[in-house]
Amino acid sequence: MSAATGPVTDKIDPFSKKQSVKKPKQKRSQASSRYKAKGGTELVPLPQLKDATPADQHELFIKKLQQCSVLFDFADDCVSELKSMEVKRFSLIEVLDHIGKSGVLTEQNYPEIVKMIAANIFRPLPPAENAEFDPDEDEPTFEASWPHLQIVYEIVLRFLESPDFQPSIAKKYVDQRFVMKLLELFDSEDPRERDLLKTMLHRIYGKFLGLRAFIRKQINHIFLKFIYETEHFNGIGELLEILGSIINGFALPLKAEHKQFLIKVLIPLHKAKSLAQYHAQLAYCVVQFLEKDATLTEPVVLGLLKFWPKTCSQKEVMYLGEIEEILDVIEPSQFVRIQENLFKQMSKCVSSPHFQVAERALYFWNNEYVMSLIEENSGVIMPIMFPNLYRISKDHWNQTIVALVYNVLKTFMEMNSKLFDELTASYKADRQKEKKKEKEREELWKKLDKLEISSTANSKTVKAVPPMSPNSAPPGDGSANYSPYSPTAHRLMAK
Amino acid sequence: MAASDSDDSLYPIAVLIDELRNEDVQLRLNSIKKLSTIALALGVERTRSELIPFLTDTIYDEDEVLLALAEQLGNFTPLVGGQEHVHCLLPPLESLATVEETVVRDKAVESLRKIAADHSTADLEAHFVPLVKRLASGDWFTSRTSACGLFSVPYPRVSSQVKAELRTHFRNLCGDDTPMVRRAAAGKMGEFAKVLELEYLKSDLIPLWTNLASDEQVQNDSVRLLAVEACVSIASILPREDLESLVMPTLKNAAEDKSWRVRYMVADKFTELQVAVGPEITKSDLAPAFQGLLKDCEAEVRAAAANKVKEFCENLPADVRETTIMTNILPCVKELVTDANQHVKSALASVIMGLSPILGKDNTVEHLLPLFLIMLKDECPEVRLNIISNLDCVNRVIGITQLSQSLLPAIVELAEDTKWRVRLAIIEYMPLLAGQLGQDFFDEKLNNLCMAWLVDHVYAIREAATNNLKKLVEKFGSEWATSKIVPKVVAMAQDPNYLHRMTTLFCVNVLAEVCGVEVTVSVFLPVVLKLASDAVPNVRFNVAKTLQKIGGLFDAETVNSQLKPCLDKLKTDQDFDVKYYASEAILVLTEAA
Repeated sequence: MSAATGPVTDKIDPFSKKQSVKKPKQKRSQASSRYKAKGGTELVPLPQLKDATPADQHELFIKKLQQCSVLFDFADDCVSELKSMEVKRFSLIEVLDHIGKSGVLTEQNYPEIVKMIAANIFRPLPPAENAEFDPDEDEPTFEASWPHLQIVYEIVLRFLESPDFQPSIAKKYVDQRFVMKLLELFDSEDPRERDLLKTMLHRIYGKFLGLRAFIRKQINHIFLKFIYETEHFNGIGELLEILGSIINGFALPLKAEHKQFLIKVLIPLHKAKSLAQYHAQLAYCVVQFLEKDATLTEPVVLGLLKFWPKTCSQKEVMYLGEIEEILDVIEPSQFVRIQENLFKQMSKCVSSPHFQVAERALYFWNNEYVMSLIEENSGVIMPIMFPNLYRISKDHWNQTIVALVYNVLKTFMEMNSKLFDELTASYKADRQKEKKKEKEREELWKKLDKLEISSTANSKTVKAVPPMSPNSAPPGDGSANYSPYSPTAHRLMAK
Repeated sequence: MAASDSDDSLYPIAVLIDELRNEDVQLRLNSIKKLSTIALALGVERTRSELIPFLTDTIYDEDEVLLALAEQLGNFTPLVGGQEHVHCLLPPLESLATVEETVVRDKAVESLRKIAADHSTADLEAHFVPLVKRLASGDWFTSRTSACGLFSVPYPRVSSQVKAELRTHFRNLCGDDTPMVRRAAAGKMGEFAKVLELEYLKSDLIPLWTNLASDEQVQNDSVRLLAVEACVSIASILPREDLESLVMPTLKNAAEDKSWRVRYMVADKFTELQVAVGPEITKSDLAPAFQGLLKDCEAEVRAAAANKVKEFCENLPADVRETTIMTNILPCVKELVTDANQHVKSALASVIMGLSPILGKDNTVEHLLPLFLIMLKDECPEVRLNIISNLDCVNRVIGITQLSQSLLPAIVELAEDTKWRVRLAIIEYMPLLAGQLGQDFFDEKLNNLCMAWLVDHVYAIREAATNNLKKLVEKFGSEWATSKIVPKVVAMAQDPNYLHRMTTLFCVNVLAEVCGVEVTVSVFLPVVLKLASDAVPNVRFNVAKTLQKIGGLFDAETVNSQLKPCLDKLKTDQDFDVKYYASEAILVLTEAA
């Protein structure tokens, strides 16, 4: 053994001295971004709510809410404020206990409660500690002020879910601005917070009818910003989850606005790098739409085909999964409209050198409903699929794939043996035809290149071309940005 | 001319149409990229009447194809017949400016801006401006976003009535319902401000800018931070007397915005802002704001501000420069030296040395030197590296001797850092350090390090170490090389590890020239020739490569009597690669002769 590797190579082996690149595991990373948090206010414990007389309770409750609105900087070393922070925590717990009780939600209390909530949860999110945060690999950064924040969120939910809660009063305070800020918080890196936000937004959507359109529009904006500008937003999955149930409740026929949302927002969402983080929720939304209105199938499938991943195999597998979900609910009349385009892509997928892609695509043939659709349209689908299947049945590197391909070819044979024989017979001739066509294309381009040269050499029109605009460069320079393909043209232009 | 009107001339458009319909994206892309060829072959008239309408009608494709198309059309002016016909390019570009994909849209806007310059004033008003208006009032946000980038180009050239219309449209875009559009408008505000008449700048644009900069009603920090960028252009155009009232309140707010992104942007643009607002406001307002940013609670903001320390101090008006630095800036800098965040420290380390020429010898010794020394001992290698890489600034002011005591341990530690990139970085500073520390110091303390890198276990380090030797020889001369370096390099040819024997060859490759022919012939060549019979093929073919490289230094006799026989022998080697490189070397040497 040692003779084979030798002590010499050992010494030079870069891995022998390699040390762990990663830093020793730190304690959970935490962050918070409070700019000039007030601090310095010392909180004095108030008497407990349960000990107060009903007459005093109201006033005491307001005081407690005000105490709960004082902010502390958890990211800082806040030993000096530990005492006050404890006071606030006790008050929060008391408010939480108290708020669900009947008779607490009087009209005067609403603004104070909402103010307290806003003061605590609305804040600029801290910078991401890890610019290339990968949710599968890295631990998220947790919100440092969670010990307080968590109770606040619980208060919110209990507030919204209280039997006494009256949206008609609350809507004065829970307004568009409130919702706007709430939506921005979905970018939080802390999954615990996003989860509570999701429930909170869901309740608000359910109770405040006047805010629904606004919420949908703002979610739209977040998605578009994510797709076309930043490609970064932590809460896409949570927002999609809420949308899933919203779409479920859409009335029929679907409004144009909703259709536009599907085609112009949900479909482009498929192209983001981080698709894996929210694909399940996204696919659910898409299928919801198709179950509501089958006529949307064609634009959806064509949209997916347009964004079909070219290099990322993991994403390709996800797309295939979604396509199968769509096929599960597709109407035969819609299937006919998309089959040609779809199966051209499928034909590429089954012959993918990445075996997971090929395997996922070939699994379609295990789906009874899909099989029945293929069988009905075998005349169209088989000629598209056959050449690639036939080819890889001979030369795919992965044996599992070869076996699956044989099965598919077998089903084709059983489906339509006559067509199958024809395809087998013409396979070679067709390949040769393709090669010939390829050659012809090359010839054409060569011819075109020549033509261009001769036409610049002969044609006077080219020479006469640019009467230069007064404010553009002189003719000599003008030809520089002309970028002709032949040097001949260049010289002609300069004349 | 008549000859080209034969049937042949139908080819190009036919091919193009055929190819544009091809299933293979790559082929479609190819044909789009050859568009100018096709247009040239068609001639300007048919390009206008057939090709452009065809392209306009067929714009639905993969974004990649559209991107190529958008780019091509920007250079099409001469191909459609120059200035008087250039407007026929507007329809396809207009469609491209409305597609979903940002890169396509941006490219279309870029091309539109390009061809706007080719329009006559009349055409600009008749064709281009209506396009801008259509885009600005489009249904979907993409067209409105694109429109934002199209105002500043035509504006200076159109009549005052059209100008007024353009201003109205721009105002609407700034208040658009969609944040994407507002962001685009905020982003283009700076360039629009530059072409606007001063009175409209004050009456129209500044209120819009103030609005965006506060973007209160929607709390969108992404809009506010773009407004900071626009602030630089606006402030540099406005007369000084208006700055105080029109710009400063907004800027001060931005420096204390509750979103760290906005504060970061202010820090990042700080020196540009400083130049734009001029010395008086710098003294009264910016210095305190800068202090605030240096003490910010977010490390990102502190790091961005720390990066600007040197430039900010340099740009301070001369009359208050020293006092401001000493009383306001330096205390903050001192705190940052021991900041908890290493990015902050490393940003500071990359500029802090630049303060010493500004503050002069005495202040440097008294105030800055202690800081440098602390940073040289920092736990983060990047901080130390950044200090070392800027030694020359200090060297010029106080000489390096005061630092050398602390410098050496720092260098040694970096030289042995476990991360090879750190080692690589310090190697690159060696020639610089050698020059500043002097030959004696170098021989005594650093020479061994340089030799140790030659046997590093990472190839990139060994490679950098050989190049480093070359630079050192250039600095200290061939005599120094013969006594201090060559013996060690030659000794490595006996090393049991073949990689080290190869390192000898690599060293010869770079040292032969700087050491001179004499040394090469008498010392290096025998070693190289001996390695030709090495047991490892990699060594042998590197001998061939080395001989090829240094062959030019020798006279014909040496080549024929020593190099050629050796190479001829290698040419009959069993190993394929050895044979290949040997014959290549022979070829080169023969050609040179």
